[in-house]
Amino acid sequence: MVKLNEVYQSYQRFVLGTASVIGFILLWQLLLTYIIPFNSFFITKPSLIAVAAKDLVSSGKLWHDLAVSSKAFVWGFTAAVLIGIPFGLVMGWRRRVEYALDPFLTALYASPLVALAPLLIVVFGVGLTGKAVLVFLLAVFPFIFNVFAGVKSTELLLINVVRSFGGKEKDLYFKVILPSTLPYIVAGARIAIGRGIVGIIVGEFYAASEGIGYSIALYGDTYRLPEMFVGIMLLMILAVLLTSGMRKLELTLAPWKVGQEGR
Amino acid sequence: MISYVRAENIKLTFRPKNRDPVTALDGFTFEAWRGEFLSLVGPSGCGKSTFLNVLLGLIKPDSGMLELDGQKITGPGLERAMVFQEFGLLPWRTVLANVELGLELKGIPASARRERSSELINLVGLTKFENHYPHELSGGMKQRVGLARALATDPDVLLMDEPFAALDAQTRDIMQMELLQIWDRTKKTVLFVTHSIEEAAYLSDRVIVMTARPGKTKSVIKIDLPRPRDYEMRLTSKFNGIKLKIWNALKEELVYRENLRES
Repeated sequence: MVKLNEVYQSYQRFVLGTASVIGFILLWQLLLTYIIPFNSFFITKPSLIAVAAKDLVSSGKLWHDLAVSSKAFVWGFTAAVLIGIPFGLVMGWRRRVEYALDPFLTALYASPLVALAPLLIVVFGVGLTGKAVLVFLLAVFPFIFNVFAGVKSTELLLINVVRSFGGKEKDLYFKVILPSTLPYIVAGARIAIGRGIVGIIVGEFYAASEGIGYSIALYGDTYRLPEMFVGIMLLMILAVLLTSGMRKLELTLAPWKVGQEGR
Repeated sequence: MISYVRAENIKLTFRPKNRDPVTALDGFTFEAWRGEFLSLVGPSGCGKSTFLNVLLGLIKPDSGMLELDGQKITGPGLERAMVFQEFGLLPWRTVLANVELGLELKGIPASARRERSSELINLVGLTKFENHYPHELSGGMKQRVGLARALATDPDVLLMDEPFAALDAQTRDIMQMELLQIWDRTKKTVLFVTHSIEEAAYLSDRVIVMTARPGKTKSVIKIDLPRPRDYEMRLTSKFNGIKLKIWNALKEELVYRENLRES
């Protein structure tokens, strides 16, 4: 019995977390089966969602939607990484660049860029490009601002160390600033993932003929709530997986931070 | 004797934004012989650490002349290396990679770099820890890495900015003894900044006592103790006599500072 208790102690987080999710699903199912009168136009329940999920999986529709949406996401997100990181680095390190760019970036970061969705669709058309650009616009700012903050928090002492050994500007970037900013980049990526997914979905809500966002909107319009929920839940699962993947990445990339926290 | 490191009439004023300028050094003149162990002692804020940074080439003085072996010092150079008070180790690099830093910036090929670094890691007694990260090391071990890194590029002059100030008393005693052994073996010229009269007296050939800010040389005290030195020497009356001499030179500066604070 003592043993079992110990096992429970070490998995407490996992056990309680899983139990509460299962409990929630059960409660949802039971409420709609026995207490709340069921009306399929307004609400659905887990058993129906499960059936819909099975159909969408076996017909291949779900994977197709996922592939379409992922493609736009990957393009936009990659562009955000490739452009956001260098921008943030230079902005953080070069004061004049900071002063020059700051007003634009702050305004853009603060405004709801999804408002640009109609414009982007007009300019880039329905399909991959428009969505990718929207993802890029939403995801690039967390990178820029996090990298910027990372550069600002780089220890001057370490810069001086590299300088004292004759390090040039390039060495400062690659041997000090970039590695010390890595944890910030990963933190930025976590935020960017969430925003990027919003970009995809809004883009597909607005104008698309396939993709997860499109399907959610379509099933919503046609009152097929179980199918709609499959899409929503797929997004949730994706977001959780990607974000926790980032957290793992953070631990691998910055073991010294973990060491400091553990002390 | 011909001076090896020479500074003449160094003046340096810091002009921080929105605050009054501070003159750290004014008319600072100084010389060190080749192979000498020379310490700089002075009240806090007298500019002794600043002077090391000037010598290192990280800060340009407003006026004055700096020479090493007859060559003007204009910026960082591999004939000088610093051991920093707060170690300045790159947290994302292993001990080995940290020691390699200077060699890497010098463009030494990887295998030669490795060999040379291992040699120095062995010299400071950290062979078993080559692949550890700084956060896994104690303060004393970190400073050994700092010392190995500074020695790796085989500089002629070793600048040490209160290198043992962050260590506990016993570690400090051990590090002092080891530093003397290493100095004896490598025959570097050492310029050592410290707050500790005891440390300066124990390690040095000569001690320079500086005035309160703006710093200049107040007096030069020759330490007439035989080498190799050992811990027991620190308990003799001769050693105490030397400490008293340094203290007498320093105390007026400390009193002067206290008065300033009250006025």
